[in-house]
Amino acid sequence: MKTEMIVDYYPGETGEFIKVIEANCTGCGECAKFCTRDVWELDGSIYRPKNLKLCVECGACWNVCEFEAIEFNEPKGGTGVRFSYG
Amino acid sequence: MKENEYDVIVVGAGCAGPAAAKKAAELGLKTLLLEKSQVPGEKNVSGTCLNGAALIIPELHYLLEGPIEREIREMRTHHINKDRTTIFHEIPSEGILLLSVRRDHFDSWHTEQARKAGVDVKLSTTVVDIIEDDETVKGVITDSGVQYYAKVVIDAAGVNSIVGRKAGLIPKRKGKNMILYTTVCVHLGKEIIDERFGDCIEYYLSPGIQHKTWPWIFPKKDTVTVGTGGYMDENLINDEFPNVNKYMDNFLNLPIVKKKLEGGKIVAWGLHLEYDEVIERRVKNGLILTGEAGGFVIPFLGEGMPEAFFTGIYAAEAAANAIKIGDCSKTKLSEKYEELIADNFFMQAFRHVAAVNKEAILTKSDEEITRMMQSVIMGGGFISNAIHTKWLKGVEDENFELIQDAYDFLELIQPYAQVDTDFENIYNERRKK
Repeated sequence: MKTEMIVDYYPGETGEFIKVIEANCTGCGECAKFCTRDVWELDGSIYRPKNLKLCVECGACWNVCEFEAIEFNEPKGGTGVRFSYG
Repeated sequence: MKENEYDVIVVGAGCAGPAAAKKAAELGLKTLLLEKSQVPGEKNVSGTCLNGAALIIPELHYLLEGPIEREIREMRTHHINKDRTTIFHEIPSEGILLLSVRRDHFDSWHTEQARKAGVDVKLSTTVVDIIEDDETVKGVITDSGVQYYAKVVIDAAGVNSIVGRKAGLIPKRKGKNMILYTTVCVHLGKEIIDERFGDCIEYYLSPGIQHKTWPWIFPKKDTVTVGTGGYMDENLINDEFPNVNKYMDNFLNLPIVKKKLEGGKIVAWGLHLEYDEVIERRVKNGLILTGEAGGFVIPFLGEGMPEAFFTGIYAAEAAANAIKIGDCSKTKLSEKYEELIADNFFMQAFRHVAAVNKEAILTKSDEEITRMMQSVIMGGGFISNAIHTKWLKGVEDENFELIQDAYDFLELIQPYAQVDTDFENIYNERRKK
């Protein structure tokens, strides 16, 4: 058996609930390293949450960022990840 | 009181939230419960076993009426290294040890109990900010811009709670105090689970399947939840383990696990952060942090839900007390809150056991711990006694020299404890003659 990331999402726009604060990002890549869902991608010299639709809202990126370069909020009410067997 | 004014606002309908809201309403307070998901429990990932040692305390008895998946009466611990697999099967005489649940079902039921007690419940409502005035939390703002005011806000919004963060109480965490873990839910059907797992939960320890944590398999009605992960230090993610799914892959493919899950299908995957230390400042003027928001979780022992229920209830009691005397200051709120927490035997005892064992285990590699546990379990008699006594005494007295002594002794007795791997070859050759 191989781990399959089977994840449900509520329909509806989450809004841009994770943002990079460009001025603070050093491009160290810790956010991408600890992201299990490949949300973060290198864009020039900084990382951006390009695949926000894949995010499961764990908050690892925000916690590991030492440079206050991530704004981590919540998706709009009733949207975002939906765990049925949590 | 105006329509958008309450005595108490509770943010988050996981474990702590409904417990807090229900209690607050029962104490006669006008209470609002806000939850960001459409269905309570659908944003939650957890071990999902409720501990009988906590549920036995009268204030949690009502939870026994909730939707339960399976009654757990036995526990199996597997210690696996390349030489051998050691299984420790514990069948206590006390009866039910744990109750396994599905959080989407359980949290929804719990929220319904709060509603029945008189709580206003609003789902699909994300809190985006707090209303603060003169160092005092006065209310919250939702994603649709609505402002709700309360004498006390109870934060039950989990590990990364925006309420606690905006109030400046929840810091960033990683390293040895934050765990990142993943779960998969495997559908096997009731009959197969009855046959392969029954009413037994399983823990595993083996190099490569975790990073300083205890992987587990918890049986539900017709699925099992498999979980593993590790402390978010510099060794969690590397070339060999590009993410936590790799630990899970190794776990699922341990021969003994593979066999037990044969024919099963993964129906869901989950990911969660778990904080491993109580937050120092968990009360502010007009605000109390509960459950995971307050760091009330013991990942080492897999305990989070009972602490959330307890702290939710205690926060409501502290709020009611403060509102009654007309003083919702930090001092007044924490006085009662801390008093109730200190009186809870389950919370105090479990936290102590976890803290000292964690400290001891973090000093050794996963391979060393596996070997140590195997020797304690399988040695029986004098060998295990010699190791066990020192280890336990070391943990009890918080004396890490004794723990090191136990480990040194284990090294010393290796020639006696280990069956020579060549033995079978020698035997086979002899038998041929």
